[in-house]
Amino acid sequence: MVVSLKPLDRKILRDLWRIRSQAFAISLVIAAGVGMVVMSLGMMRSLDATRDAYYDLYRFADIFAPAKRAPKSVLEEIKAIPGVSVVEGRINAGATLDIPGIAEPITTRIHSIPSGREPRINALVLRSGRWPDPKQPDEVLASEKFAEAARIGLGDNIDALLYGKRQHLRIVGTALSPEYIYAIGPGQIFPDNRRFGVLWMGEEHLAASLDLTDAFNEALVRVDRSADARDVTRKLDRLLARYGGVSAYPRSEQISDRFVTNELAQLKTMTGILPPIFLGVAAFLINTVLSRMIDAEHEVIGLLMAFGYRGQAIMLHYAKIAVALSVPGLLLGLALGSWLGRGLAAMYQNFFVFPFLNYRAGLDIYALASLATVAVVLLGVFQSVRRVQRMTPIEAMRPPLPPNYAGAAARLIGRMRALDEPTRIILRGILRRPIRSALGSLGVAAALGLYITSAGSHDNVARMIEILFDQSNRADVIVTFAEPRDQRAIFALQRAPGVWRVEPMRIVGAKLMGPRQSKSEGLTAATPGDDLNRLVDIDGTITGPPPRGVLISYGLSNELGLSIGDPLEVQVTEGRRGHFTLPVAAIIQSAVGSPAYVDATMIAAKMNEAPLLSGAYLGVDPARIDELYRYLKVTPAIAGVSLRAAARTGLDETIGETMGIVTMFNTGFSALIVFGVIYNNARISLAERSRDLASLRVLGYRRSEVSYILLGELAILTIIGLPFGIAFGYLLSRWLSSSLGGDLFIVPFGLTASTVAQAVLLVLFAATITALFVRRRLDRLNLVAVLKTWD
Amino acid sequence: MASAPPLYRIEGLTKTYGEGDTAVQALRGVNLDVPQSAMVVLLGPSGSGKSTFLNIVGGLDQATSGHVHFEDVELTGLNDHGLTEYRRHHIGFVFQFYNLVASLTARENVALITEIADEPMDPTDALALVGLENRIDHFPTQLSGGEQQRVAIARAVAKRPKVLLCDEPTGALDSQTGVRVLEALDQVNRELGTTTLLITHNAVIAEMADHVLRFADGQLADSRPNPNRRRPGDMTW
Repeated sequence: MVVSLKPLDRKILRDLWRIRSQAFAISLVIAAGVGMVVMSLGMMRSLDATRDAYYDLYRFADIFAPAKRAPKSVLEEIKAIPGVSVVEGRINAGATLDIPGIAEPITTRIHSIPSGREPRINALVLRSGRWPDPKQPDEVLASEKFAEAARIGLGDNIDALLYGKRQHLRIVGTALSPEYIYAIGPGQIFPDNRRFGVLWMGEEHLAASLDLTDAFNEALVRVDRSADARDVTRKLDRLLARYGGVSAYPRSEQISDRFVTNELAQLKTMTGILPPIFLGVAAFLINTVLSRMIDAEHEVIGLLMAFGYRGQAIMLHYAKIAVALSVPGLLLGLALGSWLGRGLAAMYQNFFVFPFLNYRAGLDIYALASLATVAVVLLGVFQSVRRVQRMTPIEAMRPPLPPNYAGAAARLIGRMRALDEPTRIILRGILRRPIRSALGSLGVAAALGLYITSAGSHDNVARMIEILFDQSNRADVIVTFAEPRDQRAIFALQRAPGVWRVEPMRIVGAKLMGPRQSKSEGLTAATPGDDLNRLVDIDGTITGPPPRGVLISYGLSNELGLSIGDPLEVQVTEGRRGHFTLPVAAIIQSAVGSPAYVDATMIAAKMNEAPLLSGAYLGVDPARIDELYRYLKVTPAIAGVSLRAAARTGLDETIGETMGIVTMFNTGFSALIVFGVIYNNARISLAERSRDLASLRVLGYRRSEVSYILLGELAILTIIGLPFGIAFGYLLSRWLSSSLGGDLFIVPFGLTASTVAQAVLLVLFAATITALFVRRRLDRLNLVAVLKTWD
Repeated sequence: MASAPPLYRIEGLTKTYGEGDTAVQALRGVNLDVPQSAMVVLLGPSGSGKSTFLNIVGGLDQATSGHVHFEDVELTGLNDHGLTEYRRHHIGFVFQFYNLVASLTARENVALITEIADEPMDPTDALALVGLENRIDHFPTQLSGGEQQRVAIARAVAKRPKVLLCDEPTGALDSQTGVRVLEALDQVNRELGTTTLLITHNAVIAEMADHVLRFADGQLADSRPNPNRRRPGDMTW
């Protein structure tokens, strides 16, 4: 095939070939910026869409209304509440499992499923096996992730301790539920699938075990789209009060949904902040590179003008070059971003446990990323070409006048006697074009800052884990009781094998009310001097409970609309259900959750009861831990056990698999940008200086001496960029960590010196590699051409 | 060409660019001796091979065959490093477009070379030699074309090279300014005894030479002494 190209188009191809290595670096930078946007937005949208579809398809409840024991006849009354479309009663229970091959007791949540039909609300996705046979009392379904992690297979028998009774259960199938997208045990903030599981059991059999025949202890409600959910909740509370109802709550307070929403909000923040900055930095770099390239082309532009080419045609020519330069990077970025976005979404699908994934990158994302890139690139071209076109053709064609260096700064350098001439060339070169030099340094700074921010996410999470496990939660084992117990439980636990310290855990179920809104959030009772579970704020400061009043988290104070000194209204939802107010004594930035802390003695007095325990924090001799596990597995009162070491390991693994990978990609993209920036800086300097450098070579300068001039400038611009990059990275990282705060946990700012050092080393490494590469180019300078003699 | 031992002895010098059908023979066997301290002017039309000749003699380009002896050294046997050292210690260049470093003053441009030379002149003295003692702290943009070329000459001679190679040094200048530049070269040649090879298109300039070489078609078409060497100030074109 013979393709006939216009000469100018042929010039485009040759120009692109000539600058191919620079074009490659530009493509990488564009690909990084575009890829980041497509990856992040694609993943975000997919997760959002997947969650919504999952909730919808599997009829996730709108309202959860727990009670102590309500007869099934009440369900009809609930159905009659205006706005309620579907209602279902079910039975929930906590239990511990003894699974062969696992030393520690496993905490589980057991839910009833209707006999002979699928649940109308919170439907299950049957993943393997079959539904339990209503005639077989021991058959259960297990949550899929738990079955995998605990290595339980279909047909396996397990022992459960259910309300003090030992029961044999047989796994006949595995399932997923929209209720457990984020499956966490009591008091945990990250999933540990090996040590927390969910079972579903035939309603009649669970009812029999719990003495709840023809009754339920939780009503699930779906409401009409037009209904006022708050109103329905209030009516539910009123209806269930006499059956031990403890305040119905909406989906948004359901623990899994809260975490998923929180996680997605964090991802949204991450994707809302970093990718646009990535794209912005990439665009800025391309703009700089293009305008410098076009400046160098001004003789050609002058020639075209002299030949009578119209302004538009010339503009079009360079626009074509710019677009051709950006298209490979754009395509690469779109492909890479889609691929990684899909991969990341699949990873989160696994982490969040979705049965399917709706991948939605969307044409609009592609269009947005492409348009933004092309617009910036064209703007760069337009500005530069216009600048040349303002000259007369003859001015433009003339070799560039030597820039005027006769400024005050240049004189100052002249007076510095200690400098040699090559150093003067470097310094004057930098000072002569302060804006251009500043942009060069700024590019390095931006790339460095992005890298620090990306890699710093790791530090922030590490700091969070440190606050969580080293400063706050220091108990080796936390046990929770099925029902609150009195102080004698402490003595019993003190006698348990290996236990050297016991501290009481007391969480009073309550509804907290402020001027803005109310929230079901337990009051955590603490004793001054508690050592195993300490109140730690985001800066690592340890505080105790106030002697009077309540200490609340910053997030909670915001939600409820409270400041220090304001009264917090408390409606206790258990025991005698007291109603009182407590003054807000302090507000702290709590690292985890949005807790309200009170003094244990003070709250017992307020509630008019002897201090009770919801559970206990245990300090355990590691040598006797297995002995303790055996003891706990057979202790009837215990509904849940959580282990610090296991939780920490699980958390490390989880983060490694999720956030770690996102961080890795971000870091990789920013490293690409670092290389792209430095390489382009060097190549442009080389192009601008090659004539001077070749002259010096002709005059007898050695290669090393000539390299010094070029690489010295690169080194100085890079080094000037470092402190700004560190400052930019520090601020951006700090801002990002503060933006990530949710009501479940706050991400502290934990950027370490070693991450900064690593980033600086990367820049220096990139500069060194570039220097070696450019040095090779210097060796090939055309000395003859410099004499301008074409004989 | 002279009785004393020549500075350069050039034998059978050829240079071919490219290969096969597209090969261009820029030099086709040049034989020549260049005496010490001579002022040699090279004339010839474009493409005649004079610049190629100068590039090889100046250590900027490699010959295809033949030999160039500089004193006792055979240039054609030197590698890139050897040629750099040869240029560094023995050769001064003057280019058509001056090739001054724009970010350095006149003095600093000269110092750029004196810094790497073994027994250099003081940069100020070198500038005085070309009549620029009052312009030493000016940047290239503050100097006229002729002044810039004289700075380039000062830069070239400041290291006291044995050879000064000038490729169209007046090509970018008007005649009056050109004469001043040639006067500077003439003065350097007479006072310092620097062997000077000067390429020009302008036949009048040949009047200031001790020896005139005429290139044509890659060969030395004519080589003749000029017994009546004139001062540049007496020439007009």
